[in-house]
Amino acid sequence: MNSAHILTRVRLDKNFLRKYGTVLGAVLIFAVFSVTANNFFTAGNLFLLLRQMSMLTIIALGFTFVMAAGGFDMSIGNATGLVSILFAIVLIATHNFMAALLAGLIAGAVVGAVNGLLVAGIGLPDFIGTFAVGSILYGVKMLITKGNPIFFDKNVSPLFLFVGQGYVGPVPFPVILMFLFVALTIVTLLKTTLGRRVYAIGGNFTAALYAGISIKRYRFITFLISGLSVSIAAIIMTSRLGSAQPLAGEDFLLDAISVVFLSTTMFGEGEPTASGTFVGALIISMLNNGLTMLNVAYYFQYITKGLVVIFAVVLSVVLGQRLRIKF
Amino acid sequence: MGIPLEKPRVVLETQEIGKEFNGVWVLQNIDFELAAGEIHTLVGENGAGKSTFIKLLSGVHAPSHGRITMEGRPVAFSGVRDSETAGVRTVHQEVNLVPFFNVYQNIFVGAEERTRFAGVGFVNDREMKKKAARVLEQLGVDVPVTTPAYELDASLERIVQIAKVLVHSPKVLILDEPTTSLSEEKRKTLLQIIKGLKTTGMGIIFITHNIEEVMEISDRVTVFRDGAKIGTVERADATPAKIVAMMLGHESFTIYKRGDCSSCLDVDLELKGVWTDTLKDLSLELHRGEILGIAGVVGAGKSEIAKAVFGLDRIRQGHITLFDRKYEPSPETAVSRGIALVPEERQAQGLIPNFSIMKNITLTYLDRFARGGMLDTGREIEAAEKYIDLLSIKTSGYAQPVKYLSGGNQQKVVLSRWLNGDFRVGLFDEPTKGIDVKAKEDIYALVDQLARNGKSILFLSSYLPELLTICDRILVVHGGRIVGEFDPKSENARESIMHAMLGGKVAQ
Repeated sequence: MNSAHILTRVRLDKNFLRKYGTVLGAVLIFAVFSVTANNFFTAGNLFLLLRQMSMLTIIALGFTFVMAAGGFDMSIGNATGLVSILFAIVLIATHNFMAALLAGLIAGAVVGAVNGLLVAGIGLPDFIGTFAVGSILYGVKMLITKGNPIFFDKNVSPLFLFVGQGYVGPVPFPVILMFLFVALTIVTLLKTTLGRRVYAIGGNFTAALYAGISIKRYRFITFLISGLSVSIAAIIMTSRLGSAQPLAGEDFLLDAISVVFLSTTMFGEGEPTASGTFVGALIISMLNNGLTMLNVAYYFQYITKGLVVIFAVVLSVVLGQRLRIKF
Repeated sequence: MGIPLEKPRVVLETQEIGKEFNGVWVLQNIDFELAAGEIHTLVGENGAGKSTFIKLLSGVHAPSHGRITMEGRPVAFSGVRDSETAGVRTVHQEVNLVPFFNVYQNIFVGAEERTRFAGVGFVNDREMKKKAARVLEQLGVDVPVTTPAYELDASLERIVQIAKVLVHSPKVLILDEPTTSLSEEKRKTLLQIIKGLKTTGMGIIFITHNIEEVMEISDRVTVFRDGAKIGTVERADATPAKIVAMMLGHESFTIYKRGDCSSCLDVDLELKGVWTDTLKDLSLELHRGEILGIAGVVGAGKSEIAKAVFGLDRIRQGHITLFDRKYEPSPETAVSRGIALVPEERQAQGLIPNFSIMKNITLTYLDRFARGGMLDTGREIEAAEKYIDLLSIKTSGYAQPVKYLSGGNQQKVVLSRWLNGDFRVGLFDEPTKGIDVKAKEDIYALVDQLARNGKSILFLSSYLPELLTICDRILVVHGGRIVGEFDPKSENARESIMHAMLGGKVAQ
């Protein structure tokens, strides 16, 4: 009886670890940087961290929709750069932030729609379809800019500056935008018919089809959401940089993939969630921020991020989680 | 007559072999004998024990009881490799060729001929081509060994699969339903080829669901039922009626007290000359309030009728009318026009395994549990608890993931999903497959009740007793065609339907 009791406790702990292991990991990373890096645990740096992570979080939240429906989006890195360039061109031409914002949103929506058409509509494998679109976007970026950055007067529009650099009280505006996105994604994925159907498709594609759900329509919508999230993040990025760089935003692809993989390791069932994605983005951004503060060379930062993802995924599988990442 | 025939050499024999899984005997006391140069046919309904028997012979499972001898020597296989070394080879029902490998590469895949050069092993293509050509010639087919597998038709695929095992000169050849999905003509040719193999002296075990094939090819026939061997008959003593009788046994079934459906006059669903990849010129009428049984063995085209109506298989020709209106099938249209589908594969096609009972139940008619796209969880819970109660689903609660439920309870969840809406035509494909007796009875009662409430039900099943129990009419499908219509209450309905399901000629 005693041993049976102990067994139950061990299993409970295992269950707890499987669900919250990655969250504990985030706390651990936070603690380690707070001790080792001098200026990590300061109000200034924490706000900086939040502001830095806002773009990645927003992109990863869009990507969460795609992956919740069992899909994948390889175009987000190049899409970010292209939206930034188109946004800048329209802003310079019109000096009208709203017009530029609209252009940026349309650009992201078009990228999402093309992905959706190729992958959800025609039926190309996600990996191949979105990879090819990403490659085309890279070419288009270079074609437009000849590889040169687009500079413009930061004061071209006060609204524009506010998006990336403004504050509401003590809180940076991008951070508010990020939490708004997190809340919106939580509600959409958990409380709407859209979210339910997206998870059903990811959970069992065939059964969703046999239940009369339009797989094409809902998968298309997830790519559209991903494209729009990229637009928002790209505009924040442009405002922060004060210029449009053809190669800017490319890191978002690998980082967002890491984030959503981390997200799938949280809360139990191997599906990405909005809150999981937020914690995942926090982990990756803390590593970016903390390792830089510790003067760790950037190539070691990549190695560390890769190891962290491998560790989290392997640990969750060892603890009995079904891995549901497919291509 | 009086001349003593030389008793043929026995290549394989089993004595009292049986198999139990978790305390349940799925196969018991099988005495079986296979002679050299003999075709010994195995018949029996689904679940009769044929597949388990084959798995014991080919080393997939070890017998829990009894022993197997080959050429008089006892053998114990601890895996498929063992049985293959001993000379037992199986041609499975599923095609397992590599599409972009050519014929000889497929024949030798995993068993490549090698040649050594400078201490390194290389594949010997010349030798493989030569041997492949020889074995294909023995089979009497003329196909270049360099033809890629994706260019082969269904019958050549079978032949290459057979060639693949013949290069190992087996003593015992097991053919598991080799003729399914072949056209009539190709089927005849393949049967001739198999007959020709007898002269090589190997013993052949042949499994089929087709009574004409049994009559045409067998030297002996062994009938299985409910995990036991019912008997072995010599070809000379075998008649279709006798074999069907042995398969069916003498159990009596309670006929469900269905009201007379003579009032079922309105046609809710009509298929006219429908052709798909599987269905051939298929027509049927489903009346309001009727339970129409579709009987057919695996691969007969049963599920494909449901798939065509639900818009999952493309209709190449013909058309479907629903409530006297034109109907272009697609899953969404099907749902919106009042069609419900309970698919054959509960796990693969019916359920979202990670989803709770509640989420699975509300999935199809989700909009009814939402306002402006926002879900009303209270109403969802209400609905889930209603059906858990109504269908006595055994669970710890509506939030339990369906993957933890038993088969019968899972099926009730799939059924509940459709009960949320007011569907009018139900396509129920093997709704009682693999579930316990109590759950089966619950489902029969539910289906009966649905029909009494004016819903029309297409009940597709390969399990004859249940069809006889609850259907008003039964159509038999074979080879993608409707081959007969039967009244389940008529005399000899059982025998005639089984005969027709096995592809026997129907006297009308």
